[in-house]
Amino acid sequence: MTDFLSTYGFLIVTMLQAGLLGLSLYFPLQAGQLSLASPGFYSLGGYVAAILLTNPAFAGLRDTLGNAMFPLTWLVAAVLAGLLGLLVGVPALRLRGIYLALATIAFVEVLRVISLNLSITGGAIGLFGIPQPFGIVDRWQYVFIFGPLLILTLLFARQMERSRVGRALRAIREDELAADAMGVPPTRYKVLAFVTGAVLAGIVGAMSAPLLSSWNARQGTFDASIAILAFVLIGGSRHTWGPVVGGALLTAVPEVLRFLADWRLVINGLVLVVASLYLPQGIVGALEKLGRPRPPQRPTPVKPAEVRP
Amino acid sequence: MPYPAQRRFQSPSFALPALSATLALSLSLGAQAQKVETISIGVAVAQTSNTALLGQEQVIGAKFAEKFLNGRGGINGTPFKLVFQDTGGDEAGAINAFQNLITKDRVLGIVGPTLSQQAFASDPIAERAKVPVMGPSNTAKGIPQIGNFIARVSAPVAVVAPNAVRQALKLDPKIKEVAVLYAQNDAFSTSETGTFQQTAKDQGLTVATVQKFQTTDTDFTTQVTAVLNAKVDLVIISGLAADGGNLVKQLRQLGYKGLIIGGNGLNTSNMFPVCQKLCDGVIIAQAYSPAQGSAANQVFVKEYTAQYKKAPPQFAAQAYAGVQVMVEALKVIDRKKKLNTWELDDLRVELNKQILLGKYSTPLGPIAFDKEGEVIQKEFFVAQIKMKDAKTGSFVYLK
Repeated sequence: MTDFLSTYGFLIVTMLQAGLLGLSLYFPLQAGQLSLASPGFYSLGGYVAAILLTNPAFAGLRDTLGNAMFPLTWLVAAVLAGLLGLLVGVPALRLRGIYLALATIAFVEVLRVISLNLSITGGAIGLFGIPQPFGIVDRWQYVFIFGPLLILTLLFARQMERSRVGRALRAIREDELAADAMGVPPTRYKVLAFVTGAVLAGIVGAMSAPLLSSWNARQGTFDASIAILAFVLIGGSRHTWGPVVGGALLTAVPEVLRFLADWRLVINGLVLVVASLYLPQGIVGALEKLGRPRPPQRPTPVKPAEVRP
Repeated sequence: MPYPAQRRFQSPSFALPALSATLALSLSLGAQAQKVETISIGVAVAQTSNTALLGQEQVIGAKFAEKFLNGRGGINGTPFKLVFQDTGGDEAGAINAFQNLITKDRVLGIVGPTLSQQAFASDPIAERAKVPVMGPSNTAKGIPQIGNFIARVSAPVAVVAPNAVRQALKLDPKIKEVAVLYAQNDAFSTSETGTFQQTAKDQGLTVATVQKFQTTDTDFTTQVTAVLNAKVDLVIISGLAADGGNLVKQLRQLGYKGLIIGGNGLNTSNMFPVCQKLCDGVIIAQAYSPAQGSAANQVFVKEYTAQYKKAPPQFAAQAYAGVQVMVEALKVIDRKKKLNTWELDDLRVELNKQILLGKYSTPLGPIAFDKEGEVIQKEFFVAQIKMKDAKTGSFVYLK
């Protein structure tokens, strides 16, 4: 068991992490907004944590706070990501569909180039030697950090979907004009959904910096945007569990198939292609369809009785 | 010929039970201490992703070491085995590869990973598990300082780069103004350019302009125009093969006539197809040169050239040296106490101690390690590219 945990523990944690990042993209998607900005906020959160945990300027704060420093990094990351989300969201969410996607990709690139050029973020090498929280010695113990966050996020998503806000978001997703006419202010709700995703991505970033012991500009890239989008689409974009299942699956496949050497990436590609071809609603969407009773069918027409003269 | 056909038929059905058996074995043997059965050394480099351009050369170098050193008796008569785990190009991949090598493959030591950024993520894992790591190409500042079990055969950039500037001044003593260009998204290039700029200042040169680019760029008009406007006599480029090659090409095409120095990232023949004839005359800072005169290197170059039909590149030579250091340290331990009588954990600790104690004559020349695990390498090289035609060229060693 210990061997299994030390070999695959890190993988299990990254599966949870991928699920959380998927959820951060799922929130704006609930309002029908295709935003690829998650890696930007994720990267920001990671940098916030890395700077707070390694920069000599905060040494005094670290000594006085001890382990309470780590929740503080989550909080600071959440607040900063939220503010930045608000700042970016208000103008960007005037765009729709593919244009919003492009604007958010540009946002991720801007953040990446800024972090490459600042000295506080360590340039291309990044920041390293990030301490481990709460006396964690093995990577699998991060389950106790990412796990509760995932549960909280899922509960939050469930409550939100059932609330007035959730209904408003769905209304905007289905038809923005109609929703507006019904008295649902689209901009406010779209920004709300966007900021929720940003805050979540920021917290995940702040938790991930100690997990990787280092942080650099390669964490928030266009590649990451696409990977996270794939988590949501493969898992199912209309269900809270979708991004979690998709993220866990797509993270696990290449690692579990390590013995196949280079072929593991071929299998990963096949999973992507097959899932998007045959499961347009994603894996969770398809499973849900299985559970539902079949819709009533038109009865097979009865042959008219033969009339004999 | 019935035999190959039969073999082909058998292999998949054989592989499955074997696989499940090893899985069950690795699960059941779990916690208790274990004797060393096979002598295996892990190699965790990037075999996929865009970092694989470097990683593939490392794989070739390491495989060559396995074949060549085993051919010469392995570890005092017992052959050793290399276990490869792909790190991909990211940090998570490197951590996963290390975890697999440490707990599943139960290797004695690890040669890897490819990138410095990956090393900052994965080396703490090995440090905690007390497994010696030999970085084959991690050149950033602070790598050996990650822990007691972390060492590297790749000399940090600070010592390689200055030689090239001195050599350029020897070729053209009238140089006054310098333009410096570097790939700002590459960890290696950003630390190398710092050294280059410092060296230029120390040599009394003026840095007229500093230009940044990205390793993914293909159009360098902005940077080249700035360089031409600054009217410099020397251009220093820190980048990788594809971007560096394109930059050299565009500098020449737009009319730059002076000397060009390429950093260690351009020390590969992969650049030749990019800038072709225009590569000619570029001065390159090298951590490894096939021209290095030691007997160890000359045998390595001869055997390598015979097998791969080209002179060994730097990444292959460094990966070879990494494996060689581990094997030679194991030989010394084996002479004192047979390797198969050791407990795995104790042997890993002992191997780390022995690595740092020894002196090795590798293709990189004679090397040793200081007590932090930093390589002490005596010889660095400066070469100039000479192109024979559009595709083939060579690095001519400058004395």
